[in-house]
Formats: sequence, C-alpha cells, structure tokens
Amino acid sequence: MTEIVRTGAVGAYVPMVDGPEKVSGRAKYTADFIAPQMLTGRIYRSPYAHAEIIDVDTSQAAKVPGVVAIITGADCANTFGVLPIARTEYPLARDKVRYKGEPVAAVAAVDAATADKAIGLIRMKVRALPAYYTASAALAADAMPIHDKKPGNLEREVLFELGSVAEGFAKAHLVSEATYNCAEVCQNQMEMHAAVAEYDSLRERMTVHASTQVPYYVHLMLAQILDMDMSRIRVVKPFVGGGFGCRTECLNVELIAALLARRAPGSVRMVLTREDTFITHRGRPETDIRMKLGLARDGKITAVECECIQRGGAHSGYGVVTILYSGSMLYAIYDIHNVKYIGKRALTNTPPCGAFRGHGTVDVRFAFESLLDQMAHAIGLDPMAVRRANFLNAPTFTDNDLMVNSYGLPQCIDWVEKESGWRERRGKLPKGKGLGFACSHYISGASKPVNWTGEPHATVKLKLDFDGSIIVLTGAADIGQGSSTILVQTVAEVLGLDISRVRIVSGDSDVVPKDNGSYSSRVTFIVGNAAIDAANKLKGLLVAAAARRLDAAPGDVECLGELYRAGAQDKGLTFEEVVMEALNDSGTITVTGTYSTIPQSHGGKKYRGAAIGGTMGYSYSAQVVEVTVDQETGQVTVDKVWVAHDCGKALNRLTVEGQVQGSVWMGMGQAMTEEAGYHDGLLVTANMLDYRVPTIQDSPPIAVGIVESNDPHGPFGAKEAGEGSLAAFLPALTNAIADATGLRFNDLPVTPDRVYTASAKREHSGFKKRNGAP
Amino acid sequence: MEALAEFQLLRPKTLADVLAARSAHPASQLLGGGTDLIVNLRRGIIAPTVLIDINGVAELRTLAADAHGLTLGASVTLAELARHGCVIASYPAVAQAALSIAGPTQRNMGTVGGNLCLDTRCVFYNQSQWWRSANHHCLKTTGDLCHVAPKSRGVCFATFSGDLAPALMTLGAEVDIVGPAHSRTLPLQQLYIGDARHDGAGAGDGKRYLALSPGEFVARVRVLREPGLRSGYDKIRVRRSIEYPVAGVAAALRREGDSLADLRVAITGTNPRPVLLEGTDKLCGKPFDDRALDGLEELIREQIMSMKTTFTPGHYRRRVAGVLARRLVRKLFEAH
Repeated sequence: MTEIVRTGAVGAYVPMVDGPEKVSGRAKYTADFIAPQMLTGRIYRSPYAHAEIIDVDTSQAAKVPGVVAIITGADCANTFGVLPIARTEYPLARDKVRYKGEPVAAVAAVDAATADKAIGLIRMKVRALPAYYTASAALAADAMPIHDKKPGNLEREVLFELGSVAEGFAKAHLVSEATYNCAEVCQNQMEMHAAVAEYDSLRERMTVHASTQVPYYVHLMLAQILDMDMSRIRVVKPFVGGGFGCRTECLNVELIAALLARRAPGSVRMVLTREDTFITHRGRPETDIRMKLGLARDGKITAVECECIQRGGAHSGYGVVTILYSGSMLYAIYDIHNVKYIGKRALTNTPPCGAFRGHGTVDVRFAFESLLDQMAHAIGLDPMAVRRANFLNAPTFTDNDLMVNSYGLPQCIDWVEKESGWRERRGKLPKGKGLGFACSHYISGASKPVNWTGEPHATVKLKLDFDGSIIVLTGAADIGQGSSTILVQTVAEVLGLDISRVRIVSGDSDVVPKDNGSYSSRVTFIVGNAAIDAANKLKGLLVAAAARRLDAAPGDVECLGELYRAGAQDKGLTFEEVVMEALNDSGTITVTGTYSTIPQSHGGKKYRGAAIGGTMGYSYSAQVVEVTVDQETGQVTVDKVWVAHDCGKALNRLTVEGQVQGSVWMGMGQAMTEEAGYHDGLLVTANMLDYRVPTIQDSPPIAVGIVESNDPHGPFGAKEAGEGSLAAFLPALTNAIADATGLRFNDLPVTPDRVYTASAKREHSGFKKRNGAP
Repeated sequence: MEALAEFQLLRPKTLADVLAARSAHPASQLLGGGTDLIVNLRRGIIAPTVLIDINGVAELRTLAADAHGLTLGASVTLAELARHGCVIASYPAVAQAALSIAGPTQRNMGTVGGNLCLDTRCVFYNQSQWWRSANHHCLKTTGDLCHVAPKSRGVCFATFSGDLAPALMTLGAEVDIVGPAHSRTLPLQQLYIGDARHDGAGAGDGKRYLALSPGEFVARVRVLREPGLRSGYDKIRVRRSIEYPVAGVAAALRREGDSLADLRVAITGTNPRPVLLEGTDKLCGKPFDDRALDGLEELIREQIMSMKTTFTPGHYRRRVAGVLARRLVRKLFEAH
C-alpha cells in the first residue's frame, strides 16, 4: 500500500483554504451582493460636533424622483452598543449630535446619483453646544456633559492598588517617572464598511450581509434596533477584508441599511466611502500616560504606578473594557507587585473609539517598556537582563488573579538576542544606527464573553454524509486572519485526514451555530478547542462503526485517517467503508463540539472590572529593532526587525509568521507615521494619503522566530498569534532611536518633523552651551 | 466602486479637434491620466459636464530625447519618462523626478501635462464635499476664508506639489502653450504665477496658479541640452511611496575647477508655485565650500514659505528643503 502523505497537518506551512478565491478575485465581499432592484443607501452626516437637534428637514429630499425611503432619528428610538452597560448610541442621532460625521438621516434611492442628490437637500437646524475635542477639555470642571448620564464626561474611572506602591518605591534603587502621548490611530482595513439589507415584507423577515467580525452581535443589535424577533433575522458574513478590531461591534452601517430596507420595503446596499469608514472609526484612542517605575539594583521591578487617560470619543463602544485592559494587562508579562493604576476614559466630541488590535494594551506597554529601557541604561544594566530579572514563574496567578500556565517569554528573548547579534553588535554600530528591544503579550480570547448567556463559549458542528466529506459548521468569522484554515486543520488532525476531505461553512446564521465572533484573539484557542471536541466525537462514532464491521472492540480499533484497522496485520477498512457503516445507523451524521473556559481563568474580584484581562493563555513577544536615523532630515529607517512570538504551538507556521509580521508592521504604522488628526473636530486625515499607513517600500525585513511553550489548555498547545507582537514594536523602535541618537521620543508617532525638531533643539542647546550661554 | 457623476467624454484625435472641443465646451476639462482629476471628481471638488481625453492626440505623445534636446508631449506618461534611457543619461533630474512621483500604478497613468499643471493642494481643500461644507469651504472653492491663514486677505496658500516642474525648470525648459487665438512659448517658470506673499507680484496665488488663459493648454515642454550641466532631483516624504513631496528639490550645476560655474535650484511642495531660486548666481564663480551652501540655505529661507497646507508642519518642510538642497548640490558638485 502506498503511503498517503497528508497535507495540512498541524505544525506545517499550510496555505489558507480560502486563498484561491481571494487572489483570483472570485471571493464575494458584502458589496458584491447586488440583486435586481437593489436600492442605494446614503447617510447624511452631522456637520456639527455638539449640538441640540431642532429640526431635520427631509421634505425637499423626499421630492426627488427615485427616492424610495428617508429615515431620521425620529424613526428609531432604540439604542445600540456592544457593552450591555453602555448602549447609548442611536443608529441616527436623536435630540443631539455628538461628533462631526455622526449619522443624522439616511436615504435609499434607485441609484447613487439620486441618493446623493437627496442627501444634498437635507437641512438640519440645531442649537450649537460647546464641543470638546480633547480629553482634558471634556474632563474640565465646567464642561457640559455630552451624555446626560455621564456628568463630567467621565465614561469610566478605574482605580486599584494591589500591594503598596509607597513601600515598593521606598525599596527601589532608582525611581523614574515620565509622560507619554500616543496619537489616535485607525485600523484602516482594506474593505470599506458595507451592508446589504434585504427586507421580505411578505414574511416580515430581514437578511443582512455585513462586513463584520461579529455576526452574532450584529444579529442581536438588529433585533434590538428593529424591534424584530431574532428568529426573523438572518445575518450573513461573507468574505471580509480585514477588521483589526473596528468591526468587533455592530456599527451604525448595518443598522441604518436595515432600517432603510424595512422602510422601503426592499433591498438596500450601503457601501461607505473611505472617509466615512474612517469617521465610523472605533480605533485606538489618543492616550496620555504617566508611568512611574521603581527598580532595584539588580533590575527587579519594585513598584509600578500608571495613570492612563483615553480620549474615547462621543460614544462608549468598548471604552469601559479598553480602560480596564490598560490596567489589568500591566500584569501577566513580568512578576510585578505593588501596582497602582488610575484609568480615566473621557467622552469627547470626536468619532467613537473601540477595540484595535492589541486592545487596551499597546499604549501602556509602550510607556512601560520605554521607561524600563531608560532606567536600565541609567543603572547600567542590559535591557534584556532587566526583563530576565522579572520573569514570571509559570504556572502562576498574578496579583490581579490572572492565570498564567505557559510562559515562553524567556525563550523569545533568547531568540531575538541571538538572531539580532545583540551582544556583539549593540553599542558598536556606526553613527546614526541603533538597536532597541522591548517585549509585549496578549490574551488568547477573553475568558468571559461580553454577552454572558451561560452557553458554552463556542460550539462547532461537523456534518458527515454519503460522500465522505466532512463539513465544519462554525459561526467563527474569518476576516482574513485565517481562522477557517485553522479549524479545518484542527478537525483533519484529530481524524488523521488530509485537509482536502474537510470543508468549512462559516458565517450564515441560517446554517451555522452561533459564535461570539472574531475578537480578543479567541478563535484558535476557544473555537479550536470546540472543533477538537467535535472531531473527537465524530472519531468516536467512526471507530465504533469500524469496530462493528471488523468485529473488534472499539478500543482495539486503530484510526489512521484513511484506514481503520484492528491490529497491524489487519487489512482494515477504508475511510469510505467506515463512513458507509456509520451512516447505517442514523443517515447523515452531525456532531456538536463545545468548549468553555475554566473558572480559574475568569479573573478575580479584587477591584471592579477585574475580570477584564482574564484568559486561558497569554502569548508573549520579544522584539529587536535596528534603525538608521538621519538627524538632518529627521527620517528614521527601520533596517530590520527580529521578533519572537510564543504562540504555544504553531498550528500553521505560514499563517503564524504572517500574523506576527502583520502585527509588527501595524505597530510600525502607529509608531512612525499614522495619526488621526482633527481640525475643529473634523477628521483631517480621513484618506489614504494623509493617514499614513506604511507602504511596502517602508517595510523592513522581519525575521520571525516561533516559540512553542505548549499551553496545557490550548488546542494542540496553541495560543494566540495575531495581536501580541504589535505592542513591542513601538518601544523597541523608540529605544532603538535612543540608542542611535540619545534622543527619547515619548510621543507617537515619531514622524520626521518630530525627530528633526528634537535634533535641532539639542543642536541649538549644545551650541548655546559651547558658547557660554546658560 | 460607486458610480461617478455623469459626464460626457470626448476623444479628439488632433490638436485642432481639442481646440474645437474646448471652445464648444468652455467648462470642460482635459483628461490625461486622471490620477489627480478623478480623485477631485469623486470629492466633488470639480464637476465638469465634459471631459476631453487627449491621450488619442498623436502630437501630444512625443517623447524625443537625444544629446541636443528633450521634447515631451503632454500625454507622455511618467512611467515612460522614468524608464527612458536617454532621459536617464542626459536629463537625470527629469528621470529622477518622474520616478519619484506617487507609485507605479499612478506613474503608468499619470502624464507630463498633468504633473506640470497639477492642481495645488491643501488639507482644507483636498477633502470631500461634506468635509469642506462642514468647514465652511475655503478661498480655493466657494468660501471667503483661507483656513491656513485666516488673515490672508483673499490670498490662497494651496501648495504646488508637482515633481517634474522643478526638475525641468533647472534645465531651462520652455513650455509650448496652445490656445484658441494663437500658440505661444514661455520659459517654464513663467507658467507658474502662484505667489504666496501679500506683497508679491500679485499675478496669482494657490487658486490661480497657472498663466493660462481660458481655452489654453500645455502641449509640450522642451529642453535644450547644455553640455556640462549636471542635474538631480530629491525629495522628502514621510513614506517612501505614494506621497506628494513634503519638500522636493531639483538642482542643475556646472563645475569649473573648484568653483561653481552655474547653479540653478528649484523647490516644490512648499509654495503655491515651484520656486526657481533667485540669486544662485552669487554663489558661483568662487570656490565651492560650506559658505556657498550656507548661502544657498539662506536663499531658501528667504524665498520658501511653507504654510500649514499639509498635515506635516510647514516649518519642517521649509527647513528640510534647505537640507536637501545642500546635500544635492554637494553631491552633484562632487560627482566625478
């Protein structure tokens, strides 16, 4: 018998199962679902930042021939929002507008030109209110509340002290404090937001195709906004062109399209422009951080004090969770005690922020790792030695009750140290060149879902029929990160089959089991474990069937994927024969696998919101960045990046490397060029020229080391791979610039003009010193 | 993609047909590569009912380059220009400038005429209809205020950002303009009339930035090769592709022994016009040293005025133009 070489095995380099459709252009994204008589939807957006709505006049717009439906805030009094405690947003503003660009009215018309014409005829009368574009302005004592229920515009204040920072700082050899500012950044995924809503008025059913990471949340919010029974709604998530977090909540786009479709009644296609996609936002908030660390002579961290203020935008979104993550995730990377955190999330008259890759952890990690680097230099220790003095000893629980079972950070640091030539090269590079180092970590799925229902955290169904193919049915949303490939691989691995036997159907609420969605890097860990559970159940049925045919005890049947046999001498049964036998009992086989996180991973109760940060496993990352700085022009070139990522076990080395490189690259954008800039509350940078995502010309070689710490709970030992390597790039870059120039940049992004200005200022003061000025 | 607003597209085959189409449709606009025009159409900055595609006019597609001179028709693409062996060898500033424009896809479409006549740019102008309306418009469109300089008293500061113009200007290029009444030829720098200073010549500003009368258009640009002239182009941008220059510098010079015999420097991305620096002749005829470069930087500080028209701060653009100019001139001077 010829040996069959199985493709797609766990641990191999496996091309994505949905790759051919994407690279050939055959993949259908939301905007591609065009039906006859489909109407075009357009949104009228507020030109005011903060104002009471006196009147929205749509009468002239309604007279335009071809306009089929017009809606305003008056047509929907229900609110939406991802967090049950903060559902304060109307699909179309009522009573008040709270940021420039907030949807106020919407039109469905026979074509785009008609819809645009109608939008141009809508008039809005308001009474202007004072607007607040910065956190400090919004939090000022005399500021008017943007939301009545949030006096002082304080969305959420978080305060905890575990241990005693006073004692910790007293014990320190060196205490340092610095402030940091990270500009607001947007995800800027390739696909613009889109929704296609089809209302069947005869049966009172709604079908929505949406570019979302969370079809289940969209389903919930559609029911809430439309006052429709959930059983009458179908949500389809087709191919999605990225998300990076801005689609981890239901956005106003899906809801407005559905409201228009019902009003029409008919089908409405709504595809936002790039500018509108930017304005819908849900990116990372502008963050001000005051970081204070105490270090013992040997580099051991004795105390941490962190104050973090985020400009959250006009609505909560995930805001409460973001400000909690920023505090809780101070932990679980190093062995720290005596930690104080003060977090403030401000409501402001700017577009709402949300969950951006590395949610809540990135800016604080930047501040922490920058200050640690600076202090290491001050006491004459190698920055890597300082991290090594603070390793966790897993398995362990942190002071804020986070469960750490696997910890590959030491191996990550070893790898980048060796590969970058850190020991040999650092301090010996030519003028203008520098090496910088930093670490980061991330969760593998939030242990407690946002919408707590008591159900399993994930459910996966497998269907096996006469044709011998296995269909994975899952609600998990592949948005480009490769989750469908991982689930196919996982099922094939358990059954010992080639991945060509396994297909996947995801993202149609009529067909697949509910899933919470693709956020917090949960799918590989949580849905992957459910897939393993389902595959094991299917394997049990197949082994039992084989045992019957082979007249053997199930325990004696060996499953070799395409061959089931009872003993090495047995000729055995082919997979098809086993399937036929198994189908004799029940016909088409479906099995259900589930997974739930264990209570120990749910975080603690030591402060309000302490569950945020809890996960089954943390990924770890270490990075070395090499730069060349041209101080005359301020231009910084990233020559090379070495990054090691502990993902527990690389189920697919190809996609792990891709995700890690993508994280580094996205971190590079935030660190060096990207910034959401405003002029009187208007987003100036809402286009691809002014919002500077790095181009391929700016991308350095990125060497990826995969560290496998084999998490005891992870699917085949795996943890997350798509987020944890973002944060470390930011401080590794600024630490490298400091190494090259002696200049520390605490404000991001480090654009050429900032480097130029800082260099020129130093030149100038040096000049003054040389010339005897004070 | 969502549909563009409707317009009529004319495709004349001769220069005479272009002129006839222009006089029949005074509000029409010429379409070259469309890389600038289409963006402005989508943003509602312009809404012409007639577009005249000039890519089918053979006379405008001339690319002739030899040891004596260079002739570029308005429809020559930037990609053609950037990869032309003789242009690279004999007119390096032009080839380097062409290669530095935007990215490969834009260079495949974008044309010489389009880049020379590139609309001036400003963060308050290159925005959507909704955005500009929410910001009460500006001088360059229908508003009565310049958001860059609210006290500008009617002067628009939008910035010229084409890369080819400074390169060609330093080579002494002339531009052939075709119009309904007659054709005429201008030194290229006289095509640009956008003056950012209140006390300037006053001919134009960021809004009226080209010396073209109604119906006139640029047909070709010509350079006579000057033996011994070395030239180059360099620009700063935040990313290494796609972007318009934060500041761009072209230089051409002749060296005699240890001295500069001739020096011309032009700068783009800063003022409402590409600026051919005045006074560079004073740096010639004496040994080339740091003082000459300081003098050059001084000229830039005097003549370059970059305002808040880009997201990158103006003061940086002005200073970095000086750094680039020093480096480029030194490099060209020291080249073997």
